[in-house]
Amino acid sequence: MTESGEWNALREQAETLAATLPPLLAASERLAAAVSLGVHGRRKSGMGETFWQFRRYRSEDPSTAVDWRQSAKSQHLFVREREWEASEAVWFWRDGSANMRFKSDFSTVTKIDRATVLALALGSLLVRGGERIGLFGDGRLPATGRIPLRRIAHALAELPPSHAALPPEAPIGKNAQFVWLSDFLSPLGEFESALRRLAHGGVAGHLVHIIDPAEEDFPFAGRTRFESASGSESELLGRAEIVQQPYRARFKAHNEAVSALARRLGWSYLAHRTDKRPETALVALYADLGGAHARLRIA
Amino acid sequence: MSILSGLSFGAPWILAGLAILPAIYWLLRVTPPAPRRVVFPPLRLLLGLEAPQETPARTPLWLLALRLLAVALVIAALAAPSIGQSTKIGGTGPIVLFVDNDWAAAQGWKSRQAAISDTLADAAHADRPVAIVPTTSATAPVVSLFDAGEAERGARDLAPQSYLPNRMRAAAALSKTKFAATPEIFWLSDGLDYGDAQKVAETLSRIGHLKILSDAPGKGPLALKSQQSEPDGFLVTVVLASTEGAREGDVEAQGSHGEGLAAAHFKFVPGKDEATAKIVLPLEVRNEAERLAVINQDSAGTVRLLGAGARRRAVEIVSATNTENQQPLLSDVFYLSRALAPYADVRKGTIEDALARNVSVLALADIGNVSGADHDLVAQFVENGGVLLRFAGGRMTTNVDDLVPVKLRVGGRYLGGALAWAAPQHLAPFPDASPFRGLTIPPEVTVSRQVLAEPSVELGGHTWARLTDGTPLVTAAQRGKGWIVLFHVTASPAWSSLPLSGLYVDMLRRVLDLAGGARPSEMGTDAAAVFPPYATLDGFGQLVKPPSEAEPIRGSELSKLRASATHPAGLYGGEGAQIALNAASDDIVLTPMGDVGAESFAYSGVSALQLEAPLLALAIAILLVDMAISLRLRGFVAIPRNPFATRALLLLFCIPFVLPQPARADDAFDMKAALDTRLAYVITGLPDVDAISKEGLEGLGRALKARTSYEPQEPVGVDVAKDDLSFFPLLYWPMDPREQDLSPQAISRIADYMRNGGTILFDTRDLSLGAIEGADSPGEQTLRRLTAKLDMPPLQPVPSDHVLTKSFYLLQDFPGRWDGGKVWVEALPPPDPDAGPQPARGGDGVSPVIIGSNDWAAAWAVDSQDRPIAEVSPGGADQREMAYRFGINVVMYALTGNYKTDNVHAPALLERLGH
Repeated sequence: MTESGEWNALREQAETLAATLPPLLAASERLAAAVSLGVHGRRKSGMGETFWQFRRYRSEDPSTAVDWRQSAKSQHLFVREREWEASEAVWFWRDGSANMRFKSDFSTVTKIDRATVLALALGSLLVRGGERIGLFGDGRLPATGRIPLRRIAHALAELPPSHAALPPEAPIGKNAQFVWLSDFLSPLGEFESALRRLAHGGVAGHLVHIIDPAEEDFPFAGRTRFESASGSESELLGRAEIVQQPYRARFKAHNEAVSALARRLGWSYLAHRTDKRPETALVALYADLGGAHARLRIA
Repeated sequence: MSILSGLSFGAPWILAGLAILPAIYWLLRVTPPAPRRVVFPPLRLLLGLEAPQETPARTPLWLLALRLLAVALVIAALAAPSIGQSTKIGGTGPIVLFVDNDWAAAQGWKSRQAAISDTLADAAHADRPVAIVPTTSATAPVVSLFDAGEAERGARDLAPQSYLPNRMRAAAALSKTKFAATPEIFWLSDGLDYGDAQKVAETLSRIGHLKILSDAPGKGPLALKSQQSEPDGFLVTVVLASTEGAREGDVEAQGSHGEGLAAAHFKFVPGKDEATAKIVLPLEVRNEAERLAVINQDSAGTVRLLGAGARRRAVEIVSATNTENQQPLLSDVFYLSRALAPYADVRKGTIEDALARNVSVLALADIGNVSGADHDLVAQFVENGGVLLRFAGGRMTTNVDDLVPVKLRVGGRYLGGALAWAAPQHLAPFPDASPFRGLTIPPEVTVSRQVLAEPSVELGGHTWARLTDGTPLVTAAQRGKGWIVLFHVTASPAWSSLPLSGLYVDMLRRVLDLAGGARPSEMGTDAAAVFPPYATLDGFGQLVKPPSEAEPIRGSELSKLRASATHPAGLYGGEGAQIALNAASDDIVLTPMGDVGAESFAYSGVSALQLEAPLLALAIAILLVDMAISLRLRGFVAIPRNPFATRALLLLFCIPFVLPQPARADDAFDMKAALDTRLAYVITGLPDVDAISKEGLEGLGRALKARTSYEPQEPVGVDVAKDDLSFFPLLYWPMDPREQDLSPQAISRIADYMRNGGTILFDTRDLSLGAIEGADSPGEQTLRRLTAKLDMPPLQPVPSDHVLTKSFYLLQDFPGRWDGGKVWVEALPPPDPDAGPQPARGGDGVSPVIIGSNDWAAAWAVDSQDRPIAEVSPGGADQREMAYRFGINVVMYALTGNYKTDNVHAPALLERLGH
């Protein structure tokens, strides 16, 4: 009961969050011919039901494509072209490692909760836009509608958590988009190989870096024993305040390495602190996913 | 320094433990405080960031000092420190407390108790057995050794006694006891030598190591030696044990409840051990005095009980002749007043004067016939408890009234005269029932002339004294509450030599005591007389019930009696004739105990203050503070960063100050409700309904103000579950299906309200709630739901002759916002067919409920500009007017009850009066 309550609470939170934005259409620059039908126009001619344009008949066009009614109005034959309507697949990956379950005194939510809320809010927006969404690694194909959204919410919030920090090796369709929410605290090498694997598969993606304020600011002083989230490692510092500056520098360098890697592979990168409002992150994500097209629509 | 000088340790060697403090300091210094633990996911980034200037964390110096202080306190506490103990117990054997617990010790009993408890505390520490030997006890003390705890219980039972100690007996009992080791003997003395101090000290020194404690100089015991009755008070002598020092104080006369009547100051002149003080008391107050006591000296020895004999009676002497001025030595009055003056307040005058003065004893010398009005006055005086003392004389030989104890023969008899055969007679021993019993009869007293009593059967019972030939000399009889006593001789030596003897004085004194209510048979003081203990003094000089070992005093021992265990100081004898036995006898001499060859100390006066427990408590408190600080330092206890939490905490602290306010609010409500007669409505909890109720009653109130003499203040809403309903004659209660069910308490309050004369106007508001009228309407359903558990009277629609239709306006229908609904009231008794047609019927009291459905409040409701708020249907202005009229009738009905029925009967009543 409580777990399902938690699931519902998270979902409601996500819906509330998503309600502030219009439906999101994932921008897609790289399109292939063999994409599924979608419900919204791609602003170019293609398969669809909405009228797009008439053009002059070309020899390769089948005769059945001729719009006789239009052709009868003039000397030339015209072919009616419809707007190409297709939907985009968006995969989500939320880091479920123990590190993500951390919440310092300076924040009100754990990183994993914030990541889940962001993922679901984004998913909700995408579903309203008619896109197909899927949870990476759960063995299902992306689908559109409320039911996959509920399924994802269920998987993220209620099922026993997977402790995997990095996305597994799983088939992923070309030209899909990938949203990766994590604290990216895995060793850089492992992270890089996972990211390259995805990127080489032709996937465009977005990294959402969830950061607890304590991780960034290091507001500790005095004799302190730092323990890893799993409790297996610890480090005793006599005067924690002394290492504050070197630590901040190192943390910043780490983040820059992550974002540089993302940029090199053409992925977007977004850092989000859990003490900030999730709306800001969602708006930024919305812009990233929607591309110029979405930005236009927001404006 | 004065505090430190009194500091001593029960186990000083433990203080050596303070030497480990530096070691503890070093240990605490090198042991760093435990780190606070923090879960930190990016631990990997932190690894290898070892700071160059890593220094071991140190416990802060002030925290170190706090901990060392706590340790030092614990060590000091374990050393059992105490402040204020002066004597030290040496040796290792058992401890014997040889305690003088006589009245002389009572004055400083607190210091003795302190000494005992100190010694017992030390004994408990050293685990040494203790024996407590009181020197003043009824029987020889039994010496037994107890541990300190049991001895403390024994010490609590130890109390000073009102007699003198028997130290030799106690010392002898002690010497018979076998001790395993040489005992340490502490003689807690009273500082007095009763002649045996040297011997006792020697005996005790033979048993063990003797140390004597005695009072500090200037604090020795006092005693009240004697008192002398003076005509205007008491002269008191105070004695002191030692002649050194200038002691002074106050001695007070106290009444039966210990209230001070008068006091006098005494001061010892250096070198003297006696001082006197004169307590001046007017006669009326003086007889109230029960005892004399030195103020602030709680001891039986500083108390003198006065007994019955010390009272002074007012005596009026009335003589037939007025010769005392010319020939005093032949005058009756002279001898009488000389004999009575030491013990009574004597005046000479007339009978009338005497009775006006409220005297106790009226002495008539040679008055044969009390005549006229005086006779009745005197008879009344005796009936009321006065003592009439009469003396024979020449006038009594011829004509005697009836105010005599026995019938007298006319004439008299001469003995030993020139013409008489018989020689003057001596007195025979007093009869058993005589109050004179116990007085010594001087052989030289002779009687040469007397009046004779008629022989009769009762004569023997009335005779208190007789001559050797058996003829009565003094007869007495009780009349009512008083006595008539007749001396068959003159008050002057004319007929006998009795007035010249001391016996005369003693006899008159006993007669005076009769005025105190004493029974003559109990006044005798001969050898056979028995005086049971009436109340005895404890050692502190308080009168208590006699202890079981107190024995009655025999008359024979009376004169030489001293207070003892069997006869403790106190009052003996029957009611009204008590003899006082005082702790300090009249010849007492207080001899200070000199040097008896033993170590001697003064009492310190206060008990030692044991510091062990307070020090330990302080150490624990410091350790608790230390724990809190440590937790804080390690980060376990966060200072609430959240302002809300801080506020919540503050709120928590404020709750006690906030809580009383609702009570005050209630008071305000009650005051408001009680000071004016107000219309009231029941708060349903539904804002819209309540608003209409309030506005409706306001509107009705305006109508009442404008049209009637009743000017209601603004209406109030009442919560039937909480508020006191008794202030309101009428409650308006609109029904709404949304209303909550009533709690059982609310039901019982409403029932009480209805039973005690309140009226509730239930408005089911049928048409305001929907289209259904009557029993199935939501309002009526609600009414049934709410009042299902109420004891509703039988109801009926308002009959046309009901007083409600006539109480102010004449009405037959009762429209409100709607018209046509029926109005129900308590069913009236059926009309009396014999009474004929009556214009109105009221029943007894007011109907507790009026139930209607016309939504009157809505019809009455007006806004601030007097504009109606709700539309009335179907009728317009007329209907609203009728609604107001109904409201006024209801209010008048609730306020005046069936008074209007009486009013409409007026013609019939007038007609009846006319008949």
